[in-house]
Amino acid sequence: MDVFVAVVVSGLTNGALYALATLGLALVWGSMGMLNMAHGAMLALGGYVVFSVSTTLGLPIWLAILAAAAAGALFGGLLYLLIVRPLLRHGGRGFETSVMIATVGVSIALQNAILLTYGGQPLRQPFAFGGAIQLGQGVMPLLNVTIVVVSLLVMAVLGLLISRTRMGRAIRATAQNREAAQLMGVPVERTYLQVLGLSGALAGICGVLLSAVTQLSPTLGADPMLKAFIMCVVAGLGNLPGAVIAAFGLALIEAAVQFSFGARWGFPVLLMLVIAILIWRPTGLFGRATIRRM
Amino acid sequence: MADTPQGDLAEPALKIEGLHAGYGGPDVLHGISLSVHKGQIITVVGPNGHGKSTLLRAISGLAKIRRGTVRAGGKDVHRLGADRVAASGIVHVPQGDLLFPDMSVHENLLMGAYATSDRSVIAGRLEKVYGLLPRLRERHAQVASSLSGGERRMVGIGRGLMAGGHILMIDEPSLGLAPLVTEQIYEVIAALRAEGRTILLVEENPVRVAHLSDEMNLLDDGRIVWTGPPDELLTRDELLSTYLGG
Repeated sequence: MDVFVAVVVSGLTNGALYALATLGLALVWGSMGMLNMAHGAMLALGGYVVFSVSTTLGLPIWLAILAAAAAGALFGGLLYLLIVRPLLRHGGRGFETSVMIATVGVSIALQNAILLTYGGQPLRQPFAFGGAIQLGQGVMPLLNVTIVVVSLLVMAVLGLLISRTRMGRAIRATAQNREAAQLMGVPVERTYLQVLGLSGALAGICGVLLSAVTQLSPTLGADPMLKAFIMCVVAGLGNLPGAVIAAFGLALIEAAVQFSFGARWGFPVLLMLVIAILIWRPTGLFGRATIRRM
Repeated sequence: MADTPQGDLAEPALKIEGLHAGYGGPDVLHGISLSVHKGQIITVVGPNGHGKSTLLRAISGLAKIRRGTVRAGGKDVHRLGADRVAASGIVHVPQGDLLFPDMSVHENLLMGAYATSDRSVIAGRLEKVYGLLPRLRERHAQVASSLSGGERRMVGIGRGLMAGGHILMIDEPSLGLAPLVTEQIYEVIAALRAEGRTILLVEENPVRVAHLSDEMNLLDDGRIVWTGPPDELLTRDELLSTYLGG
């Protein structure tokens, strides 16, 4: 029973973190056909912003988390205005490749900026806290429960934003047919700015939660970014509900494998599973037969 | 026939002068000029691949205008992006529908009214569209990608009507449809004509649209080679055989 609880707690916690990271990537891919390689570094940015706001400025932790989301949104917005928009306007057919290379550069620059500012020594995230809930013979750490609850709340807000608001309708319309969206009066460039801002805010919050269960380091987002990308592909690139399901499903499987066969088997088994899924369904579990280019 | 304003006394709903436009390469359109007055249906006919759709795309901001002007309601719109052209009241129902495939019929129609925030106005337009196209009411919850070609075309037109603009541009509404469905689509356009809607219609076959049009323009190789009353075009065998293969 205690092993089962541990597997479920670990799987759900990682699943929640992967889901947040994956949603940020999938949102940008689905709307713009853009793979944001700087997403991992934006996760780290969120974690460090909370550290600075909470420890250096001494502000309450909830304010620090909001600051992380705002910093992520601001970074996403600047990424769009300074790099993505010029590439979109002038990149033509090579946009996907050029934006991928450009965001690799942004990722390296951001990681190095963090390294220069905070040093390479891992830091403890002030958001981390102890305590646990006893569940039969197993225990559920309060931090993990908080991570899952906060992630689910963020996902619910994002879901409402996408499905119920005018901005969400514009994002969905632009993702499904950019030209048609323009003909309906949707300002596509502003919508892209909002998408990268939203994705940045998600990365910021995800970075805070992630660094609470690990430690702050400039490369904090590298591993989640890789896994988020894998989950995006498994779900079908750009599919938001699919991304959440894939994130939780694969995280639970990874946790079960790690507890059963050792931690080193988690990632290889995950990759083998992904390869098998892609052989079975090349467009992902929830993907369409054809991927629309924006 | 709708009342046509006399001479230059009334500003046309849409006025195009000396329009040169294209995409990446050479110009597709070479000095197009035409006017659409309020309540008129002006039709552009011509063979495939000679610039009919590019004309509508240039007006709506989707193709690049290199020279010339487009004025709508007395204002220059040729330098605006597609979203701002749409917001200015020029509604483009493109060839091939361009629907939002994962949205329902209802959501697609609501997207047509994106520029409008007044819920009562949107509800009124929706009722009107469902009245004109009752099939869409039956299919309102169905995802657009699962509709038939005719239904998709109806959603495209319905979505255009939801925008409530002052000029509707419809690109080959019957393209690829069965004769019965084509007839239904043209019945809808006839109903719009009866309402006094201002329409710029693009069609390959002049016979299909002659009874609906106030004026026909024959477009060939990016140039308007003939303009006149629809009845006259149908009697000009040399034009029909040279440009339209009929």
